[in-house]
Amino acid sequence: MTTMTRPTTGTGAVQVSGLTVRHRRTTALDGVDLDFGTGVHGLLGPNGAGKTSLIRVLATVARPTGGRVELFGGDLTAPRTLRDARRRLGYLPQDFGYYPGFTVREFVAYVAWLKEMPADTTPAAVERAVARVGLADRIDAKIRTLSGGMVRRVGIAQAVVNAPQLLLLDEPTAGLDPEQRVEFRSLLRELGEEATVIVSTHLVEDVAAACTDVTLIERGRVAYRGTPQSLAALGRDGDESDGNTTERGYTAALRAHRTHLTGGGQA
Amino acid sequence: MSDWHVNASTAERYVDGTLAEPDCWSVERHVEGCAPCAGRVSRAVGAGPAGVLLGDVRASLLARVQGETLAPAQGRLPTRLWWAVGPALRGAWALALVVVAAGAVGLARGADFAGARSLLLALAPVIPVAGVAVSYGRHTDPLHEIAASTPRGGLRLLLMRTVAVLAVSLPVLAVAGLLLPGTSVTAPGPATWLLPGLALTLAALALGGYVGSRTAAALVGGGWLLAVALPCLGGSAPAQTLAERLGEQLSLYLDGQTAQTSWAAALVLCAAVVAVRRNVYDHWETM
Repeated sequence: MTTMTRPTTGTGAVQVSGLTVRHRRTTALDGVDLDFGTGVHGLLGPNGAGKTSLIRVLATVARPTGGRVELFGGDLTAPRTLRDARRRLGYLPQDFGYYPGFTVREFVAYVAWLKEMPADTTPAAVERAVARVGLADRIDAKIRTLSGGMVRRVGIAQAVVNAPQLLLLDEPTAGLDPEQRVEFRSLLRELGEEATVIVSTHLVEDVAAACTDVTLIERGRVAYRGTPQSLAALGRDGDESDGNTTERGYTAALRAHRTHLTGGGQA
Repeated sequence: MSDWHVNASTAERYVDGTLAEPDCWSVERHVEGCAPCAGRVSRAVGAGPAGVLLGDVRASLLARVQGETLAPAQGRLPTRLWWAVGPALRGAWALALVVVAAGAVGLARGADFAGARSLLLALAPVIPVAGVAVSYGRHTDPLHEIAASTPRGGLRLLLMRTVAVLAVSLPVLAVAGLLLPGTSVTAPGPATWLLPGLALTLAALALGGYVGSRTAAALVGGGWLLAVALPCLGGSAPAQTLAERLGEQLSLYLDGQTAQTSWAAALVLCAAVVAVRRNVYDHWETM
C-alpha cells in the first residue's frame, strides 16, 4: 500500500469558514471550517453526513446558507472570480446524465467547451482525458452503449479534461469493479501531485490507498481530520478481530464524535 | 565513438558552408552522439548569420504562443452550436410544435374549422416559452449539474438555447399562420402573435432569474392561456360560438397599434431586466 504523508499547505486552493448549508428544515452542513491544498483529500462519512453538500458548494453549484467560501484565494461573490474559478475546476457529480446521442468524445468535448477551453487545444485534451481513464478504444462509442463503470469513467474524463487545479469527485468509485478501482486510485495519486483533489467516498479502503489526508464528516460537522495513518492508529487500540485498522479507526472516530455531540452519552 | 571531434575551425567552416560535403556528413553524424561537439557547433551557428534568423523565429514563436494563451477562448461555432442547442430541439417540445402548427392547418383546411386561426394564435406564444423551459435547467437538462459548475453553463447557455428555440419555432408557426385560409370569424392577423411570443419568452427568462426557469415558464405560459381562455368561458352573449369569443378576446390582446406597442415595450423591459440581472443566471443554483 502506498500512502503519502505530505502535509497539506495552509494557503490551499480551497478555504472554507463557518460554512452552513440548509435544505428547508434539515441542516446539511453546520459551521464547517476547512482548507485544502495540493494533494488528495478524502471525505468520509455516513450517508447524509453532508459530503455531497460540501462538494456541490465547492463546485459552485449550490448556494451556501452562510459562511465564506474562497477558491484560489478569491471570494466567489464577484462574477469575475466565479468565472475564473469555474474555468479551473473539474467536477464529477454523484449522478450525472448525458444526451443519448452523444459519443464519449462529443460528451467530453462539450464539457470542454462549457469550460471555455480554447478550440484548438480541445481535441488533443479530450483524447488525453479519455485515454487517462482507459477508454481510448471506446472514444467514438455512444455513451448509452457503455457499462455503468465505463460511464463513471467518462464522468471522470470530463472532470479532468481542463487539467483542473481543483478536482471535486463525488463517489467516483461507485460502480467501478475492483480492478478499475485500483487503477483509479493510482490516477488519483497522479492527479494529486499537481492539483487539489477532493474525493468523497464511503469506502474506507479508497482513502487508505489514495489520500494524503482524511476529513470525516458526520451530521454536518467535521468529526475528524488527519492522515489515513493516524485514522488507522485509532483503530489499533480496539478489537482486532475483524475489518482492517483504517475501518476500525473510522468507526472509533465516528463513535467519539457522537459521544462528544451528545455530551458524553451513548452513541 | 571515435577519437575524432569537431574543432572550432571545422565548426566555423561548417557554419559558413565552406566545409566539403562528406565532412559535413561526418560532423552531422558525430554531433548526434557527442554533446560537447554539438554544443560547439550550435554556438558557432548561433554566432553566424543563421543565429539572427533563429533568434527572430524564436521571438515570433514565443510571441505567438503567449498571444494564444492570453487570447480569449473562442469556440468554433457550427459544431459547438449544435452541442449547445441540440437538447433544446428534441423530444416532446418539437412534437408539440409540429402538433400545434400542423393541427391548426389541418383543422382549417381539412375540417373547415373556423376557429383554427384563433386556436393557433392562442397557443403560438407559449410554444417558445415551453421550449426554453424544457431545454434548460436542472429539471430537464440531464447535464445541468455539470454545466452549472462551468463558466458557459449559465446565462450564455440559456440564451443560446432560447435563440435556438425561437429560430425553429417562429418560422414554423409563422408559416402555419400563413397557410390558414381567411375566416368569417373575427381573428387577429396571422403575424400578430410574433411580438407577444417574443415578449412572453423574455418574460419567462426575466422571471426565471427569481424563481427558476421551470416555474417561470409555467407562470408566464399559464398566465397567458388563462388570460385568453377565462374571459371566453364566461362570455356575455350566449349566441356566440367559443371560436368567436376566442377570436374577439385575442383581437383585444393582439390587434391594433396600442396592443402591439405595449407588447414591444414589455419585450424591451424584460430584456432590460435580464441584462441588468445577468450575473444572477451564472450564480449558484438559481435556475
